[in-house]
Amino acid sequence: MTMAEHIVLSELSAELVGRQLPQGGWAALRSSSQPALEATCLSVLALGTQPVRVPERAQNFLLHIQNPNGSWPAFPGDDQEGSWGTSLAVIALHDVVPAIPGRLNGFHWLMNCSGRESNWLWKWKFRTADRHVRFDPDKFGWPWFPETVSWVVPTAFAILALNQLPCSCGDFERIPFRVERGIEMLMDRACPGGGWNAGNGVVYGSPLAPHPDDTSIALLALTDQTQDPVVQSSLQWLERTAPSLTAPWSLAWAILALAAHRRPVVSLASSLVTLPDLSNIEDTSTLAVVCLALDCHRAWSALGVTR
Amino acid sequence: MNLTRRDFLIGSAAVAAGASVSAPFFLPKYHTVERPKRSRVAILNVEQYSQKIDQLLAAGLAHFPIDVQGKAVVLKPNLVDYLPNNAINTHPLLVLAAAESFRRLGAKSVVVAEGPGHQRDTQLVLSQSGYQQSLREEKIRFVDLNRDELIRTPLRASYMGMKDLWLPRTVLEADFLVSMPKIKAHHWSGVTLSMKNMFGIVPGARYGWPKNILHWKGIQESILDLCATVPVRFVIADGIVAMEGNGPLNGTPRPLGKIVLADDPVAADATCARLMGFEPDRIVHIREGSKFLGNSSPALIDQVGEALTRPATPFQVVPEFQYLHAL
Repeated sequence: MTMAEHIVLSELSAELVGRQLPQGGWAALRSSSQPALEATCLSVLALGTQPVRVPERAQNFLLHIQNPNGSWPAFPGDDQEGSWGTSLAVIALHDVVPAIPGRLNGFHWLMNCSGRESNWLWKWKFRTADRHVRFDPDKFGWPWFPETVSWVVPTAFAILALNQLPCSCGDFERIPFRVERGIEMLMDRACPGGGWNAGNGVVYGSPLAPHPDDTSIALLALTDQTQDPVVQSSLQWLERTAPSLTAPWSLAWAILALAAHRRPVVSLASSLVTLPDLSNIEDTSTLAVVCLALDCHRAWSALGVTR
Repeated sequence: MNLTRRDFLIGSAAVAAGASVSAPFFLPKYHTVERPKRSRVAILNVEQYSQKIDQLLAAGLAHFPIDVQGKAVVLKPNLVDYLPNNAINTHPLLVLAAAESFRRLGAKSVVVAEGPGHQRDTQLVLSQSGYQQSLREEKIRFVDLNRDELIRTPLRASYMGMKDLWLPRTVLEADFLVSMPKIKAHHWSGVTLSMKNMFGIVPGARYGWPKNILHWKGIQESILDLCATVPVRFVIADGIVAMEGNGPLNGTPRPLGKIVLADDPVAADATCARLMGFEPDRIVHIREGSKFLGNSSPALIDQVGEALTRPATPFQVVPEFQYLHAL
């Protein structure tokens, strides 16, 4: 880490600490006082090295808002069926001893949650009547919210979360199956020229463009698949695209993913720290991801990325 | 014929059961009728995006008795994603011109707000599509509706079968919500105009990217429930360069040379559909919306500005929507 990166990281971490709400969580936007799950989990991961009071309050907050079914809501007060952020919550609570029962419940929920296309009826529909979006319904992952189909980002985070379980024995014997299906789903949903968007690679016969952030998050979940042609073409696409990115969220995710696949990111990190007004970023999750990108090794460890 | 008490009871039970099963199909799914007696639509001829849009829009707005004095105005453009040389998003020059006009008309505040449905990095869409710098220069605040504070909001129609949705505070607290769609053909809903543009207020942080729950509940149904629940007070539709074919992302730019203004989203969308060469009453959300939200019949629309002319060649659509083409 260069001196400039170190200084920026310190400033942004301080800003992030300052945005913690009295309840212990973080809001999605600086101007808001409504805690949000994604912003809270990413902030917890980004501030892992802060004095113990900050993460402890956040961890207590996360445990307090967990749903009875083991999932986490998108924000406190939300309906209790659960959200994709459950993966992020179990990742954020990694190594927290009082959170072990809550995390296990979270893993159970993740195991029982799958995209709607995993059901035979919907498989049949997507094979026969609804074929405008090109995908193989046998290859399913996780939805943003229950009762919808699988998408790239929730599936990638669920794979990262489930990879954190040390064993797949007992109730968790189906984990390898689910992770394998999830990886197949990611490969199936890639855009034709490499990279991922939300999960629609081809619609009505037309290829859709990939997104840098979705591509990066998928690549983080696929670090042990580096030699796969889909991963290779996606890395090449991201390497071509990242130097022109001026949005901190996408650039930060690109740094994390490319470095995890052992691609050079020195110039990208330099670009990131010279983006204007970083500490005034309204979006708290973006602030947290920038902090993570400036401390890649700790970020991979926190996110459960294997290298 | 002798009717026994037993026959009467069985018959009554059968009638009651039949009514309870069939009633949902016949009873209206909207709670109140908000349709104005008459609506006003202005069509402006604008051949290209330039600084002149400011004056042209101000002149167009003068056709309407708009009262935004001291009000919080929210402009809701259509920002989905960015692809070079494509006509996906409402052009930033039109949004800036609208902001300037409403400021001149005395608005207390003017905010641009959107929750892109396909791209999670809202700031990337803003910077790539030219919004970020323009909004900063003009000191116009932008709110990311995908991540705004959320309020559980009871729906004022029941087409989707959902009782409520979590919706963004910025939109719910607006005094004057302006839908600013890009005029486009759409592969799932036929068209995406001012009513479909309201999908952007549904927060991704709660419903995902894309807002998949709305697709599962029915796109036409979702449009109707959203428009019934969050009233659109005004429409400024960008049809200077529109999109035909496989919209909303992969269609073909189609120069139309029009901006459509309206005080009623149903009237705006019916007019835009006619400009595209479509029969508006074949579009479910326009036809159904004309029962309680606004007017689609030309007889109930006061047309000002330029005349409404159908194109020599209608907009192309995906095969499933060929039936939209007017005879």
